Amino acid sequence: MIRVALIGNPNVGKTVIFNHLTGARQYVGNWPGVTVEKKVGRCTHRGVEMEVVDLPGVYSLTARSPDELIARDYIVEEKPDVVVDIVDASNLERNLYLTLLLLELEANVVVALNMMDVAASEGYEVDAGMLSKLLGVPVVPCVATRGEGIEALKDAIVDAATRKERRRVAFGFGDEIEDAIKRVEAVLSRSGSEELSRYPLRWLAIKLLEGDERVEALVSKFV
Amino acid sequence: MEEIRRIREELSKKLGEDLEVLLPARRYETAGEISRRCLRRREERLTLTDMLDHVFLHRALGIPIFLALMYAVFQFAYSVSEPFMVMLEAAFGWLGSLAGEAETPLASLWADGICGGLGFVLVFIFPIFFLFFALAILEDSGYLPRAAFVMDRLMYRLGLHGRSFIPLLLGFGCNLPAIMATRVIDDERDRLITILVNPLMSCSARLPVYVLLAGAFFGAYAGAAIFSMYVLGIALAILMALLFRKTIPQLRGKPAPFILELPPYLRPTLRSVLLKTWQRGVVFLKKAATILFAGALALWALSSFPWGAPLEATYAGMLGHALEPLLRPLGFDWMAAVALFFGFLAKEIVVETFGILYGVAGEEEIQAAVAAHMTPVTAFAFMAFTLIYLPCLATFGIIRAETGSWKWTLFAVAYELALAYAVAATIVAFGSIVWG
Repeated sequence: MIRVALIGNPNVGKTVIFNHLTGARQYVGNWPGVTVEKKVGRCTHRGVEMEVVDLPGVYSLTARSPDELIARDYIVEEKPDVVVDIVDASNLERNLYLTLLLLELEANVVVALNMMDVAASEGYEVDAGMLSKLLGVPVVPCVATRGEGIEALKDAIVDAATRKERRRVAFGFGDEIEDAIKRVEAVLSRSGSEELSRYPLRWLAIKLLEGDERVEALVSKFV
Repeated sequence: MEEIRRIREELSKKLGEDLEVLLPARRYETAGEISRRCLRRREERLTLTDMLDHVFLHRALGIPIFLALMYAVFQFAYSVSEPFMVMLEAAFGWLGSLAGEAETPLASLWADGICGGLGFVLVFIFPIFFLFFALAILEDSGYLPRAAFVMDRLMYRLGLHGRSFIPLLLGFGCNLPAIMATRVIDDERDRLITILVNPLMSCSARLPVYVLLAGAFFGAYAGAAIFSMYVLGIALAILMALLFRKTIPQLRGKPAPFILELPPYLRPTLRSVLLKTWQRGVVFLKKAATILFAGALALWALSSFPWGAPLEATYAGMLGHALEPLLRPLGFDWMAAVALFFGFLAKEIVVETFGILYGVAGEEEIQAAVAAHMTPVTAFAFMAFTLIYLPCLATFGIIRAETGSWKWTLFAVAYELALAYAVAATIVAFGSIVWG
């Protein structure tokens, strides 16, 4: 069985896609320790069973809001096989911020480029092929309200979960910052900590530079 | 860990900016670049929203435009309501005179307590409704989120979260819902700071005090004097937030970064604007029917008994004289002391007290009467003192409820009293140097 997490900004049609993917096979619980609703559903596609978890709608993945922390912890700790990032095509720039954060986390991302119809009605055309090339991840255009693109999305999820090789694109922060990231990475790998090696090294370094309280607390146990 | 911290500080110094802001900013640049390369506009068209945002969100012009708009709002609320206020005032004066000479307790209760006290406050329904009307137009047009966006850059540097802006702005209406609105702030520290400084945002209950005193002392500059109180409140709120961040260990740290959606501009509909104005303004009417009415009765009783005694010898006079030494250095007399004392219940009562006390003392024109008891400098100091000195009873309650702590609630009261005294003393000292 493959484990899939759904993530995206608020109001991008995440719930609609979740319902399309899982149909009636879903149940609702709470995330441990908090009163944020946790929805889980199942489906089978091309003979592959998947479990789909609906993460809270978030704009970013800081340690400062409960919703963002839930989403981030799930991806970091539970390491789902595929993370479906739902992107509002009519608000591409703002939505891509979260996508970049997911790529920093080295999640196995599939982008569902939703609301293609809204973008079109606003006079935009979004080049899904170009987006896939620049991000280095599969991009599936959809109009979830009409059920368009859902089958293709399921295909992409199964492909991504079974694919061995992954192309990684790293997005640079500029020379000075990159240099500092390298130095922090060096400090971290010198520690040789087993526990820290569970996390993407570059991500830890970036979070430390940003002063992320959670990561700081984690790392200070070993470094 | 030491080494990592050193790398971070070195980098931050080299780039001259906070990494917590800079790294996300770089990510946005990347996101923007990717999106530009993937988007094709079928037709090049600049929407009205784009054009307006070029102006309203301009890096240099954004804040001056915001201040100018706010100034226009207060000027509007003050000038448009003035003729209505004069008429209603005259009506209450006539109603009061129906009781004849106020020689029996009942006649005095009608003339001085109800018409002179409560009626005196009711007049201020006009500036309050016009203020809410103007703010509702700004809100429905979609400008308010822009104002939050423009202010965020400044506020972040000053230790306030961008999301604090809307609760602070709501404070112009009433601090009570404003403090409840701080629930939108995720970070506990950001939220606590916003609650603590919220009473400094000048709520509509303080407007009557400003309108009364500014009208009596500052003539053509009344609108500007009122506006200055709002600016003073904002400045102090920002200053205090910065101070708390720096000095109180539980509040140390940086505000969380802030993402805000900017909806398209819309033409406000009259229906929605009127509805909002009514919903917010009606709170004042309810207050008038309950606490302000009770306050007027109590104040009238305190200032009329023992019956027949001169005003200075009534219970209110005794209370005022007991408090006066504390406020003497600021140039406030005993009547001002009584007004401030009862203003804790609701700040409109400050005005009510003046109405009743001067009315009982037998003076005709309240503004002339006030002018005889204060100088422009003490009046300005008194306006500032009223702005700052205490959250009203209801706000006090909501601070306790929302912080869940008596310690923070009492802290809010204590710092505000001290600050009010310091600011009023500064105004008086400065004023006496400038005007001798």
